[in-house]
Amino acid sequence: MTVEELSRMANRLRLDVVETVHTAGDGHPGPCMSIADVMAVLFFEELRLDPQNPRWIERDRFILSKGHACPILYAALARRGYFPVEELGGLRSLGSFLQGHPDMNKVPGVDTVSGSLGNGIAIGLGMALGCRYQKIDNHVYVIVGDGEQEEGVIWEAAMAAAKQKAGNLIVFADCNNYQSGGKVTDLSSLYPVEDKWKAFHWHVQVIDGHDISAIRTAIANAKAVTDAPSYIALKTVKGKGVPYMENNNAWHKKVPSDEEVEIARKALGGAI
Amino acid sequence: MSTKSTREAAMRAVLELARGDDKIVIVSPDSVAAARAVPFRDEFPDRVIEVGIAEQDAVDVAAGLATTGMKPIVVTYAGFLTMRACEMIRTFVAYPGLNVKFIGLNGGMLGGEREGVTHQFYEDVGIMRSMPGVKVLCPADAGQAYKAALAMMEQDGPVYLRLGSGREPEVFPDDTPFEFGKVREVLHYGDDVAVFASGFIMDRAIAAAEKLKAEGINATLVDVSTVKPMDSAGVTAVLRRTNCAVAVEDHNIYGGMSSAICEVACHYHPCRVIRLGLRDVYPRSGKAAELLDAYGLSVDDIAAGAKRAMEKD
Repeated sequence: MTVEELSRMANRLRLDVVETVHTAGDGHPGPCMSIADVMAVLFFEELRLDPQNPRWIERDRFILSKGHACPILYAALARRGYFPVEELGGLRSLGSFLQGHPDMNKVPGVDTVSGSLGNGIAIGLGMALGCRYQKIDNHVYVIVGDGEQEEGVIWEAAMAAAKQKAGNLIVFADCNNYQSGGKVTDLSSLYPVEDKWKAFHWHVQVIDGHDISAIRTAIANAKAVTDAPSYIALKTVKGKGVPYMENNNAWHKKVPSDEEVEIARKALGGAI
Repeated sequence: MSTKSTREAAMRAVLELARGDDKIVIVSPDSVAAARAVPFRDEFPDRVIEVGIAEQDAVDVAAGLATTGMKPIVVTYAGFLTMRACEMIRTFVAYPGLNVKFIGLNGGMLGGEREGVTHQFYEDVGIMRSMPGVKVLCPADAGQAYKAALAMMEQDGPVYLRLGSGREPEVFPDDTPFEFGKVREVLHYGDDVAVFASGFIMDRAIAAAEKLKAEGINATLVDVSTVKPMDSAGVTAVLRRTNCAVAVEDHNIYGGMSSAICEVACHYHPCRVIRLGLRDVYPRSGKAAELLDAYGLSVDDIAAGAKRAMEKD
């Protein structure tokens, strides 16, 4: 895909999220919007996947550690052909396979349970080591939130992954400076976070998380480093692309009205 | 009574299996020495994944490994595993049913003995038993721990194996069978009372049954080496004969094997079951035998418990 096509796909995924949460009447739209661009690059360009064979052993692995943003993971999987797009509205309802947080046994294409914050990097490290041991030439991609990095197990995994020289582990951090309870900078001393990852011996990059070309380049740079895990800080805007959601933490978990869906549809370029 | 290390025995079983299965790996939160896994590491250095003193990370890493088809074993002190990493075990291993094995050291007062409360664990069985999909094994001595480890690795999905300090009384001959998911009658002097025992307290349970016999009370002693899934049929068959029981374990009286026996009794054959274990208190440092005597798990306590079980009201 071209940069423009990937950018349009990112907006398609954003609109899927708005429509999914509207139909389901529950879910976290805001945390999806800031990662839409990296999700588009990963699922429609970078990840080596086979939707017809979700458990293909040679595939790249993907972990949405901030699992509450699963509406956009489900949208990406549906658009990638794992299941019909019409299933998205079943999110969080009893009859649907689309759980409130990702479940590897219910949703095809989901590689692990996630959503209990802090665990995705450690699980990804296990995947990376298991694949390396079995001589599978692939990569494990993880998306964590910024506030999520307040969890202690993140730093346990940071130490272990560097010691294990897990060059096939690439972590994106969605640095939108918001978490459930407010601004990350108001709630913790996490920032400046990139320095911490450097101190833990990771390969660190900081990029505009809404710049498709920058995301592509950062992934290529990360893959070129084979003896250290990579941390790519995505400078992002929570709610990106939907005017009333941008930097408005009320949309961390909120259901858009009919009118708000229409506003989003126009802002995101319509149903592409 | 001579002692033999359950840690050494279980890791010997793991090493033997690992020679024929290159998917078996150990995830170590700096536990290789404690687990007596040095021979494993010497033979398979690339199959010990050392994560440092980080139990939560160890369990998550094991979960990730299992998704790729590896067969990881996480081994460390029982409480650091089942309490500190409790949610990781539940959410990332047990919920998706991943094939990760857990070995907990220092089970019970006997396991932790002189270390004190921070390193003695009497809640682990209850915690692990409460998680859907997790199986729980409490072998009685080193010979049984060896066979329990072999049986554990035959199971698909999470299993918790409870081990001790490395100084457990040796009670059974080496040819004693271990059958996953089944209780086993160790002694059948008669049907006056059942003694259900689990783990490294078995020597005392045997001595209590013999003491009772000398007093004219003929007990059936049952080894409950699989605490989950509980052998309801096997337990019920014994209770139907005896109509009363004492259940003894080196664990808090809430949540462990004795609770599980009571659950079976309530459902299938209501009768009096006296529970003997740590009586919901924190003990202290001391030599293993002295601790068990001091906290209600002496041979006399077990025999007295059996008599209380036999009282009609």
